[in-house]
Amino acid sequence: MILVGFGASCGALLRYLFTYLWKQLRVDWPGATLLINLTGAFCLGILTHHFPANQFTILFWETGFLGGYTTFSTLNTELVAMYNDHQWFNLIIYGTLSYLGGLGLAWLGMQF
Amino acid sequence: MKIKNLVAVAAFAFFGGIFRYLFSSNLGEWGIMVANLVGCFLLSFLTYYVIERDLLAGWLNLGLGTGLIGAFTTFSSFTTSVLNLSKSNFWVGGGYFLVSLLGGFFAALIGFILAQLLVKMEEDK
Repeated sequence: MILVGFGASCGALLRYLFTYLWKQLRVDWPGATLLINLTGAFCLGILTHHFPANQFTILFWETGFLGGYTTFSTLNTELVAMYNDHQWFNLIIYGTLSYLGGLGLAWLGMQF
Repeated sequence: MKIKNLVAVAAFAFFGGIFRYLFSSNLGEWGIMVANLVGCFLLSFLTYYVIERDLLAGWLNLGLGTGLIGAFTTFSSFTTSVLNLSKSNFWVGGGYFLVSLLGGFFAALIGFILAQLLVKMEEDK
């Protein structure tokens, strides 16, 4: 349980760092969350299928680090903000890229 | 970037990750779905009721939003859960996907609407 906590701390810090850097670019689009969620899904696909399923991998890296790195709540809060601003095009593009991209990359990570 | 903010994100994420683990270790993939849906509601409500109105210090906003709830929910496990469930039964995986997608959006929407209602009620007082 402590391993999960520490992993989540490290993952969330990396997510905060990427979001912070993205904000410096002043692009009005949640690209940081998209990048984080897609890379995280890909890495989890790789980890679950190509690495030994020991306690450390599962608890620290999978549940902790990647779980804390990626986020589902920020994605949906950003989608609702787009909905509220009537940015229908952005809503569809961001949602599609996140969900289909995430599933596709996780699947790709499991292959080879 | 302030050290205080980094410490807040890390410390709160520690518990967010553990809370999610309690859900997933007891309920498996479905626990992740529950955590994700609850987290969507909470983050959206927190964002529009607390963060946007600057009710708390900046580090605490980051700790609760980015740290605690951000780490409580997860996107990576959501994708692998969909793929793993689909392998044994396509419809179960598809259902998990749809419920997460629509449920996550509506949970966040309800959090947003509730926050707006409460803010309006307070202003009307």
